[in-house]
Amino acid sequence: MSTTRLQEVLICFGKKKQADIATAQAAADMWRFTKLNASLINPKLATENDAEEYGKGHEFATVTYKTAWDVGCTLEKYLGAEIGSWAVAFALGKVVKSGGPNFVYTCTPLIPANGDAAELPYLSYVEQIRPGAGVVVDRQAVGMAVESFQISVGSGPGRANSKISVELVGSGKVIDSATGITMPSATAEKLLPSASLTLSINGVDYVTNKNIVSLETGWKNNIRMDSGFFPGSGFQTAGDGSTGAIRGRLEFGNRQGNLRLVARFMNGSDEYTKLKAQTTGTAVVTLAYDTNNSLQLTWQKIAYSVVEIAETDQILTVAVDCVPLYDAAQGILTAVGKCAVDNICQ
Amino acid sequence: MDKLWMKPPFGVGDPKEVDATPEVLTPLMVAGWSQCDPPADHEEVTTNVHD
Repeated sequence: MSTTRLQEVLICFGKKKQADIATAQAAADMWRFTKLNASLINPKLATENDAEEYGKGHEFATVTYKTAWDVGCTLEKYLGAEIGSWAVAFALGKVVKSGGPNFVYTCTPLIPANGDAAELPYLSYVEQIRPGAGVVVDRQAVGMAVESFQISVGSGPGRANSKISVELVGSGKVIDSATGITMPSATAEKLLPSASLTLSINGVDYVTNKNIVSLETGWKNNIRMDSGFFPGSGFQTAGDGSTGAIRGRLEFGNRQGNLRLVARFMNGSDEYTKLKAQTTGTAVVTLAYDTNNSLQLTWQKIAYSVVEIAETDQILTVAVDCVPLYDAAQGILTAVGKCAVDNICQ
Repeated sequence: MDKLWMKPPFGVGDPKEVDATPEVLTPLMVAGWSQCDPPADHEEVTTNVHD
């Protein structure tokens, strides 16, 4: 028997959204990527036993019960136009598609007070190792949602200076063998390198003045995992109460955006002045492969919460934490993903 | 410029055709508008005229 290397793992996941949380996607609605991290979806079964129950004559467990399922994973990738567009669409939830064959996905967070859903779009996530006669792993997590994404941009020549990390959580529903999914061909990606960054924050163009050192920005949905198990939420095998409960919904909780940067500090740097004055302004982060393949995040209004002068490689720098603020007309975040792939989150 | 159709929140009101730019879409999306198909009685106007 040959050993199995983790590099053999193939993943594909929903490019489109599922019809609902419990309906598994077909291969035609998914796309395949490589990834950087070793994380696998690994379904977790919570069990209980009768050790503490009276009437048995002893304190030992005699039987176990399958109570609930959980599944989740993290996806780390070099940032590309396709994965970036996908991440912001599924993480924010409200998507408007335009264009074609060069598609534009304009995405904003869902606002339930204005009639939007409280649930994010769902997708399936498939892992396979040696699918076919010599199958090692073939499983599909159904009803996954994007809990968070985090984009990091740094200084240096390599691809690692522009990455995205996406955290996925799930309903717990898993097809753990014989998914019937034929892995799609790998998606051609247009990378969005660090060198393509344009950045304007609170009235300062940090790229033109050559001051930016690194930047992180992202979004977290704080999905209400426990409330996914409600009376009637369902079981791993529909109608079979012995198979363990699964979640019937994944609602976002108190969502949070973040934006941090490190820039060179010099004469005229006004971050501390703006911190003291609590000056507000927009922050626009753009990474592009070309005019048709890019990702732009616009934080509609930010203020500085932390400004610290330190050093990076012996050069005086300033680290700035921003607080994204909600603007009544423009909201909090608009993300625009451009790529040549149709039907993302549709 | 690309155009698309948006419908108002809570299904109250008529859809409208708007420019597909973030500057136009963002305030609508924040206010609860969402993308929809063109109304059935909408005739697409084209400038591609063949003599």
